[in-house]
Amino acid sequence: MGKNVLVVDDDEIVIRSCEAVLGGEGFTVTGVTSSKEAMSLINDHAYDLVITDLIMPTIDGFELIKWINENHQQTRVMAMTGYSSKAVLRDAIALDIIDFLPKPFFPHTLTAAVNKAISTPLKAPAAVSDKEEAETYDKAKFQAILKRYRKVPGALIVVLQETQELIGYLPASVQKVIAKSLKIPVSEVHAVVSFYSYFTMKPMGKYNVRVCLGTACYVKRADEILEKLQETMGVNEGEITQDGMFSLETVRCIGACGLAPVVLVGQDTFGSVNPATANEILKEYQ
Amino acid sequence: MEKLTIDGLHTIKENYRSRLTEGRLMVCGGTGCIAGGSLKIKDSLEATLKEKNISDKYKVILTGCNGFCAHGPLLLVQPEGIFYERMKPVDAPEFIEEHIVAGRRLDRLLYKDTKTRASVENIHDIPFFNLQALGALKNRGIIDPENIEEYIAVDGYFGAAKALREMTPEEIVKEVRGSVLRGRGGAGFVTGLKWELCAQAQGQHKYILCNGDEGDPGAFMDRSIMEADPHVVLEGMIIAAKAIGAHHGYIYVRAEYPLAVRRLRKAINQALEYGLLGKDILGSGFDLELDIYPGAGAFVCGEETALMRSIEGKRGCPIPRPPFPAQKGLWERPTVLNNVETFANIPSIIRNGADWFKSRGTEKSTGTKVFALTGAAMNTGLIEIPFGISLRTILEDIGGGMNRGRTFKALQLGGPSGGCIPAELLDIPVTYEDIVKTGAIVGSGGMVIMDNNNCMVNLARFFLDFSAHESCGKCTPCRVGTKVMLNRLIDICDGKGQEGDIELLEDLADDIKTASLCGLGQTAPNPVLTTIKYFRNEYEAHIKDKWCFAGVCKNLSTFYVDESKCTGCTACARACQVGAVVGEKKKSHSITQEKCVRCRSCYNACKFGAVKVGPADMFSQKEKEYAR
Repeated sequence: MGKNVLVVDDDEIVIRSCEAVLGGEGFTVTGVTSSKEAMSLINDHAYDLVITDLIMPTIDGFELIKWINENHQQTRVMAMTGYSSKAVLRDAIALDIIDFLPKPFFPHTLTAAVNKAISTPLKAPAAVSDKEEAETYDKAKFQAILKRYRKVPGALIVVLQETQELIGYLPASVQKVIAKSLKIPVSEVHAVVSFYSYFTMKPMGKYNVRVCLGTACYVKRADEILEKLQETMGVNEGEITQDGMFSLETVRCIGACGLAPVVLVGQDTFGSVNPATANEILKEYQ
Repeated sequence: MEKLTIDGLHTIKENYRSRLTEGRLMVCGGTGCIAGGSLKIKDSLEATLKEKNISDKYKVILTGCNGFCAHGPLLLVQPEGIFYERMKPVDAPEFIEEHIVAGRRLDRLLYKDTKTRASVENIHDIPFFNLQALGALKNRGIIDPENIEEYIAVDGYFGAAKALREMTPEEIVKEVRGSVLRGRGGAGFVTGLKWELCAQAQGQHKYILCNGDEGDPGAFMDRSIMEADPHVVLEGMIIAAKAIGAHHGYIYVRAEYPLAVRRLRKAINQALEYGLLGKDILGSGFDLELDIYPGAGAFVCGEETALMRSIEGKRGCPIPRPPFPAQKGLWERPTVLNNVETFANIPSIIRNGADWFKSRGTEKSTGTKVFALTGAAMNTGLIEIPFGISLRTILEDIGGGMNRGRTFKALQLGGPSGGCIPAELLDIPVTYEDIVKTGAIVGSGGMVIMDNNNCMVNLARFFLDFSAHESCGKCTPCRVGTKVMLNRLIDICDGKGQEGDIELLEDLADDIKTASLCGLGQTAPNPVLTTIKYFRNEYEAHIKDKWCFAGVCKNLSTFYVDESKCTGCTACARACQVGAVVGEKKKSHSITQEKCVRCRSCYNACKFGAVKVGPADMFSQKEKEYAR
């Protein structure tokens, strides 16, 4: 079969017996005695299955599994331990693993469990896109935001604002994490995200171009500015240019009516914009 | 640092008072002027002063919004009050050389009178400023908004000191009721009455909230106050908190106002440091904690119950009243919510008394009101006027009249909840009662001047589009009703209007006003009703003649050149981007209708009024006539 299996255990005897049993079944088995070595191997090679002990010095199996789940979601993980107390069992199952193997084990138990684990289908592609979305931002900072507001009543909007500032937008996967952390239904999070115009579920361009459609700007032909920019950028309102440089939005009055009509690019404000030459604003940013 | 006592407050005032009479270059740091480069102007001024070794003679200060936004970036030389406008960063060295070193005036940057074009030096001689009566804006442009000592030097926090140390909650409420101050946010409810209800409500925990969610398109009064004088808002809230017995409060500010959020945050930190917020304020034993809550952009959150839901982290949907927020508000506890401008009026009322406040304005509409004057007037910006003066005074004298070549058509007051006031009603006084009679409202203070280039039907469509989009969706009359009205208006503007549409709109408007849950729905039809009331002929022309007088609705206009007026200056031909205007120099031009995209470029370019707008089918009509 030639499937690659990584065994992580601080006890070399366990590694050797796994090699003996699984090697005979046609698996390619690699064994390491610490989570640290395992991590560097997983980063460089693709394994069909990782079998890890739970109780190990320095980085234990729980940490390792968490790390794999966060960074290598496409890797199957199975845990084994000699301390099969109920508490350990509960913690281990909560970690999103495929199977749990109590030590010591008979050779046929191991083979059966590994075969079953290997035939488990990989996670759906949706999880992959979640991962891609999730990879672009600072996880530690996001966790810090969640931690800070976990017990504050009514903190949802503030959490969403800070998260959007960090990530740039609020993808569905992030909304799920926020819901879980604040212990409220995902539907409630989405209800708030979709209600307020400040929140967006789509990524923004490097420069977000906003055309003010307040009354003062409107009576000074802001709609023509919008048309001109749509034409120049080749996108509609709420869309992003192909090169990812600009996104185009409208805004309901930014309160700079003395300058009407107004266009904002990122944090820069442009006043008294002439509809005919509105496209020239963008040139500074290209 | 050590907490401030009342003596400490007096010491700071004495120490900093003299600073206000020293040489100071006040650079406007409002959003408009910053966009015009005022930060660079400040740097350049400082650098030049240093170069010339006169940094000790003049200090450069970044102020809040001065109000005269259309002429920005602005520079005020204190203590003389010499006013420079439209400064550019490159002008700074020349200004220092001329004004400071040589002691002359830099004439080209002085204000020019709108009629005589003569230069005006002093800020107090400029009509835009000298006809105003400042109250809520009294510190704008003359203090550094990021410096609490300067605020104290102009009597800041003395109102709070008086309220906390010398007055009982009942006395504060009595004083504010006596002033007849009405809420400046839109509805105009009597502030003192609201406080009284909340003060009497049972409950250990009460909240004081400040509404800085200025969502009206075309209004920026609250933004300017928060940017120019953040401490006055805090002081107003301290006094209100004492009156109702609240020890916790929030300022709800739009996230679209980053500068206001930053300055308020800084102000709160300074006040905490000085012991003017927090525990045992000024040794009075009164505690108050204030936080900023950045809003997430929803117009309906200006409605008080919706705003409270938003602070609770929910969708901003209003709830039915009673119970009123004064009894059951934020987190179901007694709450008072006031607008930024309302709070900004409170400290002076406490310091000077209710009678002083009532000395300005009319009997039922007391005090002063801030308006954001925008649109087609010469001098646009932020103004504060006593109630009772006429709309005409505002437009003609403070606003300097209409832009050259434009004719007044209507004055829009109160944003999407307000209405349009036509020329024949310009002489009515600005009071809550008189404005309501016209069908508009005083609202939060957005005042937009419309000229003959604006189509009133299209304007009604614009406001309804806003209301329909911002409807929270909770109650059907508002959610569905505004949408149905909007669709009718879109059809009329597209040339698909039918006989009976006007009556249908009036009918729907009546239902929506009667049946909606909150102020948004109850007032959403106002822009449509007032435009029908005063500009019915435009609606009829759109529907029957397929003719938009202003040439705004593209399907309802034909642009043509009036040969008797055309001088052949070629301005229109040069303005046309699609080559539809043809003609030789000094000979009458004409427009090729097949090529015309109705962009109005030629109409705007013509200085002789020779480009005109006719009904959509004017040429086919002519052909029909020829055929006969």
